[in-house]
Amino acid sequence: MLLEEVEYVRPTNLEDALAVLADVDGAAPLAGGQSLVNVLKNRVASVDLLVDISRLAELRTIKRTPGGGLDVGACVTYDELDRSPLVRESHFTLGEVAAHIEDQQIRNKGTIGGNCCLSDPTNNLPPILVALDAVMNLRSTSARRSVQAAEFFKGYFATALESGELLVSVTVPPMPARSGAGYASLLVAADAKAMARAAAWIQLGTGGLTITSARVALARVANVPVRDAGVEARLVGAEASDAAVRDACSVAAEGLRPIDDVHGSSHYRLEMARVMAHRAVMQAVDQATAGRNGSESARRGGRA
Amino acid sequence: MTITKGPGTEQAIRTWSGRSIPRKEDARLVKGQGSFVDDGGVQGQGFAWFVRSPHAHARIVSIDCAPALEMEGVYAVLTGEEARQQCETPFFAIAPPPGSLMAEWPLAVGKVRYQGDAVAVVLAESRETARDAAERVFVEYEPLPAVVDTVAAADPTTPLLYDDAGTNVVWRGVFDYGDVDWALENADHVVKIDRLHFHRFTSAPLECNGAVVDYDLGTGVVNVMSNYQMPMFASMVIGPTIGVPINKFNFVTKDIGGAFGIKIGFFAQIAALALLSKKAGRAVKWTEYRTEHMLTAGHGNERTFLDIEVPVMSDGTILGVKVRAFDDAGAYLHYEPLGAVIWSQVVPGCYKLKHVRVDYTEVVTNKCPTVPNRGYSRMQHLWMIERIIDIVAKELRLDPVDVRKTNYVQPEDYPYRTPNDCVYDSGDLPRSLDIALELAHAEEWRARQRELGTGSGRRIGIGIGSTLDSGTNNFGQSRIINPDLPFSGNGEAAIVKLDLFGEVNVNIGTTPQGQGHETTAAQVTADILGIAPDMVTVSTGFNQANNSYVGFSGTYASQFAVSGLGAVMGAAEKLRHQIVKLAAYALRAAEEEIDVSDGFARVRGDENRAIPFIGLANMVYANNAGLPAELLSEVDLNARYVYVPPFEVPDPVTKTGNLTLTYASQVHVCVVEVDEETGEVTLLEYAAVDDCGRRINPMIVEGQVHGATGLGIAAALYESLDYDASGQLQQPSFYEYHAATALDIPHVDCGSIESASPFTPNGAKGMGEGGGAPLHAVCSAIQDAVGGDGPVVADSHNHWARVHELLHRDPTASRGVAVTSREGPPRVAQS
Repeated sequence: MLLEEVEYVRPTNLEDALAVLADVDGAAPLAGGQSLVNVLKNRVASVDLLVDISRLAELRTIKRTPGGGLDVGACVTYDELDRSPLVRESHFTLGEVAAHIEDQQIRNKGTIGGNCCLSDPTNNLPPILVALDAVMNLRSTSARRSVQAAEFFKGYFATALESGELLVSVTVPPMPARSGAGYASLLVAADAKAMARAAAWIQLGTGGLTITSARVALARVANVPVRDAGVEARLVGAEASDAAVRDACSVAAEGLRPIDDVHGSSHYRLEMARVMAHRAVMQAVDQATAGRNGSESARRGGRA
Repeated sequence: MTITKGPGTEQAIRTWSGRSIPRKEDARLVKGQGSFVDDGGVQGQGFAWFVRSPHAHARIVSIDCAPALEMEGVYAVLTGEEARQQCETPFFAIAPPPGSLMAEWPLAVGKVRYQGDAVAVVLAESRETARDAAERVFVEYEPLPAVVDTVAAADPTTPLLYDDAGTNVVWRGVFDYGDVDWALENADHVVKIDRLHFHRFTSAPLECNGAVVDYDLGTGVVNVMSNYQMPMFASMVIGPTIGVPINKFNFVTKDIGGAFGIKIGFFAQIAALALLSKKAGRAVKWTEYRTEHMLTAGHGNERTFLDIEVPVMSDGTILGVKVRAFDDAGAYLHYEPLGAVIWSQVVPGCYKLKHVRVDYTEVVTNKCPTVPNRGYSRMQHLWMIERIIDIVAKELRLDPVDVRKTNYVQPEDYPYRTPNDCVYDSGDLPRSLDIALELAHAEEWRARQRELGTGSGRRIGIGIGSTLDSGTNNFGQSRIINPDLPFSGNGEAAIVKLDLFGEVNVNIGTTPQGQGHETTAAQVTADILGIAPDMVTVSTGFNQANNSYVGFSGTYASQFAVSGLGAVMGAAEKLRHQIVKLAAYALRAAEEEIDVSDGFARVRGDENRAIPFIGLANMVYANNAGLPAELLSEVDLNARYVYVPPFEVPDPVTKTGNLTLTYASQVHVCVVEVDEETGEVTLLEYAAVDDCGRRINPMIVEGQVHGATGLGIAAALYESLDYDASGQLQQPSFYEYHAATALDIPHVDCGSIESASPFTPNGAKGMGEGGGAPLHAVCSAIQDAVGGDGPVVADSHNHWARVHELLHRDPTASRGVAVTSREGPPRVAQS
């Protein structure tokens, strides 16, 4: 493995885990290990004590909230999200995003909590959770608090988590009737890293095709998913037509300057952010008009 | 299957070859019972970790090993300077001066020349300790300007990598065949292409490099258990440097998890490990990790083609090509500048180009050394030729299928002599193309493309890649680089032995990495000895102690079916001859009366007079009293044979001669859909038609076609190795370098024809490298999608941003191509 020497402990309940995290300097939670272990192997970060939370039953459940939302334990794996009938029934797009994270072996191990807490800008789940207006539930030995997903991601490898705090679950609000979600990525290759990515949620009015509410999150234009207020403002009140949505998304990522790298220039990425925003919103429109968000139309909506 | 017995069965039993029998290797490999280099080890071994430079180019001011040596569990540290002091000479140079002055030692001496260059190597009781200790070897560097641009490297004002050489140019040569000036003067059109660029990538073998090196201080034998794919080349390069004669090396390989030529590159590491083992007095185990592999194990050759001029007649006949080529060898000459001649195995590509001038310059830069990579050096040139064909078609508004068929070497032309006297042995390119077009439903897609028109946001592109997979090198071509080199011809050795209880054993000098040698060697042996392949045991990998090797032994350059199986067949025939002789004596019959089948030697027509193999073996090995001395002198049941292909030494002055024995061909056709908004390319259809002569095991051939296709598609669309201006590799791990997975590679429809080679023992041709056909075909399809008025697809790697740029380039900007046409009526080409 070539890790630096590191201690390991596997608490049997959440309280013990929180206690260790609070008490030991240099302790870090280990869930699926699909990111953290690579980070440690590359010696980008250093940890003294790995606190294995991956088998804590209380972090591994997917529950329906009273209003029809989801409460997803932090150690639920991508594969479990993908295969959960509960998730697919009410939040099809979330399952679909999880189904396309890297490969099956990684999906068997990687967790929603790990994906969020690493806050790597290429990670798949943060933008969809921001678009769905999810709430991140944090605990420490002494306190509980909840943070909106849009406020949780603070920067490259940085989140709102404070020392001794653990992400225990993610609450995803219900999807009302005539609402839909969409997710579009420009990938380097199949199920690989994204160069540009957008996640969208829209609400259509009761009659007609007018968008009454919208959330659009862009990834890869900054170090964290960005809610695009400019696009959202243009979408609200607009007709959910391809032309109107394209027009609204033409201002996406204004003022932002994405990175330049071997996969594409900053200028290209900016243009792609607009293309992805348009595609994600149109997927959301399809889903909203199809009447149920677990429909086949979402599946046709393109590569997640 | 049933083996027919009885008189006249000579024909009937020769039937195992040509069948897709299951691979003998697979049972152990799929059950996790394979044995790879990292599975091995030696009592008391330490673990090695290389200390590598973070700088692309820097002077080494000082190295402080003390903090590492103070750590518990650290056995030794070897620095570059210390290693050099133990060496008698730098590694053997293939190049004449100035390339020969670009000296390489086991570890960097004086300066580092690329990011990852090894300055020292640490030995410790565990891998983890070795790695930790390597971080406590403190190296002070004085950074120097990095040279990363291939063409600029040749400029005399550019900083030098090697002060002693006085230049960054390793080797330069003009390959001038026919009369290209005449052709350019007399052609109806001259198509001028500014620049084509073939990018850097790797085959990314699943298993990285590794070795267990044990320098036995008692006997002086250096045991090297590794996954190195050309062991005798390594011993010839390393031996004189570290002062070890060939017979004091014992190279062994076992299962190898992919090599692709990349595993010819790490002889310097083996040399350093041998010196480390000698210093520490214990065995050394080294397992390379992925980032180390990506940074240092070797990349494929990057080549830039400038000022391409193509004389074309109005009927589409292409007369030739004139071009300046700049090849980037990276920081050290690990196998280079052999690539500077190896491309000339395929000077005219698949076409009857008569007038070719290539002004070829190879340079060093501050990048990872290049090493042979599947399709080595020919692929780059063939890609350029295929780009030319499509660009000519596009600019002159000709059908790319017609241009190919007009210019292809035709079936009746074989054996076809190229302008530089290489001999293409056999083939049928027009038919291969027809089959590929049909398999890919090209006509339907062409109609679909027209229907789609403009405005849908999507475009269809149909592409063709015709290529050659030249196999069984004439190493005499190295003399075109350096007339003083003592190399020519080629060869491989095999031993086929009847063992004590009548078992049949085969040892070969090859190092299979997935090519199924155990199976195909068993097939040809079974045919000759009249037994089933199950009754033949083929040793896994290479073992110097077997004595089944020559200087060229190994697995590389598409040659096993010819040289490897040629050796096995020769040895099996020799053994069969001995069996017949021995049986004739035992059965009191004439040799002409003996049949060998089903594990018995029999007297034809007399069922009662037969002796099993065990009986024959017993007579020689354990029951030989009274046997005639004359018989024993001819029969030892241990037959060694060296296959040597028929070659002459090429002429280094005219740069002509037959450089390769066989030319397998591949024609690929693919259909892509391009997303106009993003530049994203999706493969809709893919067909590959392979012609490698007579196939010993069609399933294994098809497997290799699939592999080469995956590799080429990946390189064309996903995989690239790029350096920034300071010489930092931008894709040092799989996080940045997307090694293609099964999800990226479409279904491949395989077709085949078998144009038997007249030059080989079995009609087969070497294959497996594939000649880069997918790079040609995918670029061709993207070009087709970009359209006739669009710019030239000038790079072999086309990620989405690049395709997007091609689709949306300002129409007033350069398209990268120009055509000048003669005045007057069109003329017909002279033959």
